[in-house]
Amino acid sequence: MHEMSIAESLMDQIIDIAETNHMESVAEVELETGHLRQVIPEVMREAFLAVTQGTIADGAKLIINEVEPLAACRQCRREFTPQIDDFLCPQCRQADVDILKGDEIILKSVVGN
Amino acid sequence: MKINVVKKVLQANDIVARKNREAFKAAGILALNFISSPGSGKTTLLEKTIPALLPERKSIVLVGDLQTTRDAERLAPRALQATQINTGMSCHLYANQIAESLECLSLTAGDFLFIENVGNMVCPGEFDLGENLKVILLSIPEGDDKVAKYPTIFRAADLVLLTKCDLMQALKFDVNLVKDDIAKLNANVKLLPISSQSGEGMEEWLGWLQEKRVEAIGKQSKFFTE
Repeated sequence: MHEMSIAESLMDQIIDIAETNHMESVAEVELETGHLRQVIPEVMREAFLAVTQGTIADGAKLIINEVEPLAACRQCRREFTPQIDDFLCPQCRQADVDILKGDEIILKSVVGN
Repeated sequence: MKINVVKKVLQANDIVARKNREAFKAAGILALNFISSPGSGKTTLLEKTIPALLPERKSIVLVGDLQTTRDAERLAPRALQATQINTGMSCHLYANQIAESLECLSLTAGDFLFIENVGNMVCPGEFDLGENLKVILLSIPEGDDKVAKYPTIFRAADLVLLTKCDLMQALKFDVNLVKDDIAKLNANVKLLPISSQSGEGMEEWLGWLQEKRVEAIGKQSKFFTE
C-alpha cells in the first residue's frame, strides 16, 4: 500500500501547482508510473480518491500511464527489458544494470480552472 | 488551463534525503537503513552489534515504529544516543522525520548511525532517507521464497543478512534458492547468514561495517586493524 504515501506526496504537489497558477479547482491529473515502482492503478485511484476528498482536487480525474522498464547492462551495454524479478542481461547472464526507464513516478500535468 | 510539469512525485522527500546525506558526510558518520519484516531481528541484531563496536566505535540509533518506545528503550543503554520515531499509521520512515531527529542528535560524536525502519518489505524501499547503505534482513522463519516475492527491496540492497541462521537446518531453508533469486536481481548484493543467538556471521558483519565506514568516511579504524 505504498500508493497511499505516493498519493499524499502527489497531493502536496497538486496544491502547489494549483496555488501558483491561481486554480480554483483541479479537473485532471496525469501521472506517469514506471513499471518497476509497482504502482497498481486500481489501488492508486483509491488512494487518490481518499487524499483529494474535500480538497480543490475533489472529483478530479486521474490518468495513469505506465512506463515499460528499460535496462542497460554495465558489462556489455546491451539494452533490454527487465522483469520485476529478473534483471539478468540476456547476453552476459549477469544482473549488473543501469535503469534507463521505468523507475520513476512523475507528475506530468495538472488541468484546472 | 493545462499545466505541464514533469515533476518527480517523491521529489520533496528526495531533497530532504540529499540534505541528510550531506549532514552525515559532514559529521563523518556512516548511516545505514535497516529494512525488513516485523520480527526479523533488527533490534536484537543492533543489541549485539553496538556493544561489539565499542569502545572504539560509537553508535547512534534512530528507530521507527508505529507505536511504543520499546526499541529505543532496549537500545538506549548500549548506544551513544537512541531516539524513537513513532509513525502513527505510516508504514515507513520519511526523510524529514530523520532530518527532524538529527536536530537533537550529536552526529559528530558517533561513528555509525543505525536507522531501524518500520517493519515492512515494500514501502520503506520507496523513501530515500539519505542513508549511505541499505541493509535488508530476511529471517529464516520467513521462508526461502521471500526474495522472489518481494524482489524490489532486495534489488535495492547493499547487504542482505539472513538472520536467525541457527534455524536454517531445522526449518529446511534453502539458502541456494535465495542466492539464485538475488543473483537475478543484482549481482552486487552481498549475502551473509547471521545469528544473534549463536554469534555465527557476527565477525564478518562487524568487518563489513568497518570496511564500509572506511570506504565512505576514509578514516582508518583501530578496531578494523586489530
